[in-house]
Amino acid sequence: MHRAPSPRAVEPTTRHHRTASPGSGLRRRLLAALVVIPLALAAAACGDDDGGSAAADPNKPVELSIFWWGAEGRAKLTEDALALYTKKHPNVTFKKTWQANQGYFDKLATLTAGGDAPDIFQIDDNYLTEYASRNVTLDLTSYKDGGKLDLTKFPESLWKYGVVDGKLAGVAFGENTQGLVYNKTLLDKNNLPAPTTGMSWADFITWAENVSKTAKVPGTQDPSADYKAFWVWLRQQGKDLYKDKQLGFTEQDVTGWFELWKGARDRGATPTADVIHEGNVTDISKQLVVTGKAGTSWVWANQMPELKKNTKDELGVIAYPGDPSAQWARASMYFSVFRGSDKKDVAVDVINFLSNDPEAGTVLGTDRGLPSNMDIRKAVSESVTDPNMKQSIAVENELGAKFGPSPQVPLKGHSKVRSELIKAAEEVQYSRKTPAEAATAFYAACKAAIGQA
Amino acid sequence: MRGRLSLPPRGRTVVRLLILIVILAVVLYPLLWMLGTSVKSREEIATNIGLWPDVFTPGNFRDGWQNFDVSFGRFFANSAMVAVLTVVGNAVSCLLAAYAFARLRFRMRKIWFAIMIGTLLLPGHVLIIPQYVLFKQLGWVGEPWPYLPLLVPQFLATEAFFVFLMVQFMRGIPYELDEAAKIDGASPYTVFRHVIVPLSRPALVTTAIFSFIWAWNDFFRQLVFLSDLQDYTVPVALTLFIDSTSESAVGPMFAMSLLSLVPVFLFFVAFQRLLVEGINTSGIKG
Amino acid sequence: MAVSTAPPAAVPAGPASPGPASRRGRGGPRRRENIAGYVFLSPWLLGLMGITAIPMLLSLYLSFTNYDALTDFSAVKWVGFDNYRTMFTADPSYWHAVRVTVMFALIAVPLKLATALGVALLLNRAFRGVGLFRGLFYLPSLLGGSVALAIVWVNMFNREGAFNSLLSVFGIEGAPWVNDPDWALETLMVLAIWQFGAPMVIFLAGLKQIPTELYEAASVDGANPWRQFRAVTLPMLSPVIFFNLVLETINGFQGFTSAFVLSNGTGGPVDSTLMYSLNLYIKGFTELQMGYASAMAWVFLVAIALITVVLFSTGRFWVHYSDGEDR
Repeated sequence: MHRAPSPRAVEPTTRHHRTASPGSGLRRRLLAALVVIPLALAAAACGDDDGGSAAADPNKPVELSIFWWGAEGRAKLTEDALALYTKKHPNVTFKKTWQANQGYFDKLATLTAGGDAPDIFQIDDNYLTEYASRNVTLDLTSYKDGGKLDLTKFPESLWKYGVVDGKLAGVAFGENTQGLVYNKTLLDKNNLPAPTTGMSWADFITWAENVSKTAKVPGTQDPSADYKAFWVWLRQQGKDLYKDKQLGFTEQDVTGWFELWKGARDRGATPTADVIHEGNVTDISKQLVVTGKAGTSWVWANQMPELKKNTKDELGVIAYPGDPSAQWARASMYFSVFRGSDKKDVAVDVINFLSNDPEAGTVLGTDRGLPSNMDIRKAVSESVTDPNMKQSIAVENELGAKFGPSPQVPLKGHSKVRSELIKAAEEVQYSRKTPAEAATAFYAACKAAIGQA
Repeated sequence: MRGRLSLPPRGRTVVRLLILIVILAVVLYPLLWMLGTSVKSREEIATNIGLWPDVFTPGNFRDGWQNFDVSFGRFFANSAMVAVLTVVGNAVSCLLAAYAFARLRFRMRKIWFAIMIGTLLLPGHVLIIPQYVLFKQLGWVGEPWPYLPLLVPQFLATEAFFVFLMVQFMRGIPYELDEAAKIDGASPYTVFRHVIVPLSRPALVTTAIFSFIWAWNDFFRQLVFLSDLQDYTVPVALTLFIDSTSESAVGPMFAMSLLSLVPVFLFFVAFQRLLVEGINTSGIKG
Repeated sequence: MAVSTAPPAAVPAGPASPGPASRRGRGGPRRRENIAGYVFLSPWLLGLMGITAIPMLLSLYLSFTNYDALTDFSAVKWVGFDNYRTMFTADPSYWHAVRVTVMFALIAVPLKLATALGVALLLNRAFRGVGLFRGLFYLPSLLGGSVALAIVWVNMFNREGAFNSLLSVFGIEGAPWVNDPDWALETLMVLAIWQFGAPMVIFLAGLKQIPTELYEAASVDGANPWRQFRAVTLPMLSPVIFFNLVLETINGFQGFTSAFVLSNGTGGPVDSTLMYSLNLYIKGFTELQMGYASAMAWVFLVAIALITVVLFSTGRFWVHYSDGEDR
């Protein structure tokens, strides 16, 4: 019933093969074209740079796309502030996109790659240089000089913290500075003194050791993996994290830093390596001072009110140990304009409005940090009711009076430097490497990261 | 019936049940922990790692539901729509492709099959940017309906996983059935409709279940292609509760995470019934 | 490797119903099947050409460049094999990630499959509430890679977690598993195995497809349950076992989401959970070395393709298909 195919049946198939060859060649050529065309189109879309209608009809309807990260609270405030702008300029509407910061920069990179970057986007000093150096952000210097973007009420060091390679890449939205948050309730319960601003690092570690012994809770989180603690410590010695296009510190500095904290661990001032690891994240809800696994955490001062929400205990905040003038007015985040936007002027105007308009400033409040405009900052601070927010503002103002000049904006590769520090510090924390070994590895990785290998 | 132990039937069932329950307890413990956390207050979540809260806080569910400008229900609806359409697209397109691979002889079949398996293997992260550019060129990104980049591929059998799954299932269908039909003069199309499709139920059910769950849980692609809060789906929306640098509404997030399990769980329980009815091939043989 | 050669049965001769070829004679049905094949394949082909192939080829092209996602395509610089060279010789994290991934796959995949098969066999029976049981076992798989799950896992497997509480009942003092570089990967494996519901469902579907007459025939022949398992269940299930093996292996090597959420996107502590795709993601998105990441992706594809080929060729020896074609 079933027979093998006869030889004659085979022939048509081989003939098919032969006729198929030019077909598959055509297919290949089609494929090549299909690859090249989108490439070319995308290139054309991305390359397009001008289009900023200088003398735009002020009444033409315009829709700006704006992208930021944050939670629901920030979304509400931002949307209200943008609504205020629309009220004053009815022809301008906004296409708002917001999300948590998990995946934010992935999406921003994807949008940018697709030529679809939002007209206005939020960014921070981790990525500002990455985006600015690749000409994704618009240089706002001309707007500032021409008065369209008013930065006169900003602390100078704050807005200068948005300058990358001589170009103003982003407008600072929110100022914060390093803040050491401690568990007041725990200290009071054990009749322990609170740490004070200006305490030396050695004194602080002794203080922490004392807390560990008395309160049976490790006195402090080990910050050796935390780039911002390392940064402050460097600045207090006249060094810096970055200097021009290079690293601003030496390998010996790193060794010293790791050894300082190894000592602290050995004395019991900090938790064990595994608990330290839990706190080596940026998540507020995982900070050790809040989970009760340490008496102090190393965060940004304006995060104190949010930390407070995660615990029943009272919290206090001071500067990091050492000379507080080494701290600086950091821009907690920026708003930048996409260089390829065809609505640049309007975008800049919106940013100007959000930064300087008193009503908008009141609406936005302290959600992103201390308002950059000093007048607005004064007004907002006075109207704050949350005692924790009041305290953190007070501390920041007090510290602000003592700040030195801001460091330069971190270089390209900063994210990798941060993650390498965590890795190197943890190697020491887990006793898998000596401070010197870890420092060597870290230093080499940093140089590679910023492209100076 | 087939049994595996040399005990009387009642004994076997009891032992079987006992083993299952023990395994189940171990397997479910983390989920119970999630349940407990979803009713803890914010302060407790950070500090109390026991199973149950000291202070019962069911408000997390209400807060989670109402947290955003749109109710969480909207996100559920979006996810449901995406998931259902994905299921339909996958089931149909992958079934067609699988039939070709499993049952038909055509030129270059081996090569296409190899390519198909190959598409499974490339890590998606390097594809997302080229895909975004492609979809942008096609004009599918953004308004008016942003779901095109997520759904059109499902109707074009781009999920090689399901094609392969169905191929394997189809190869378990006795070829004699095909032959019998062909002898009666059936074309490949007829064989497909009358022989393969009816017998592909387990494959289709499995595809449906997995498609649904994958679509329900797909975070990254949905994050990239959706930009309007109203369009967000559940996995994207769940991350909105926690911004690691500012707010962290962990309790509501747990509550909504648990809630998002319910539709998927129900979908599964409903569909797995179809797996229960085995294939009674005696009718076909006879 | 791929589907094997011509079927043992040839095209039946005889009058065929008028097909699209409508050519009478021996070439007819064969040609019709050829066309039918492409007809059925057309959605997939369209998807391949239109949606899958272009991005894949683009990424291949990008792997030879220094693409960083932010510079546009036209300004991208061709660097030839530099990315590949760096990967193999100058990047310690690369081989480390390979080791982590291989270890993970070698241990987690077999254990997950064994558990899935075992529980599927237990559940392959209509007793009251079996549907509920199946759903409950499947529940963990539904969670995918959620952040909530990661928090649960960390809290269960850290020093004060539930797992250590359990161990202390037996007098064992547990390590801080998830926070310990020596054990963090194992914690990840447990997470993967815990989600065995997915392959379990597929096994269940496969078990359901085994004709009951075969079991009846076997027990008539006097085979005991174990013999029935070996003679009927295993061979008839082998295509599905094979499928699960291949897919879970691919998934094991590709594993990203669990590692990502559990380690907070770092692969920590100290890179102990740095799976290959996590490393790839970090290089591509966090460090904006998209060209390098693309190169990593293609190396991965080739490696996994080789492993898949090996699996397919060993399949020839133990996988039994009812359509008469044994690979």
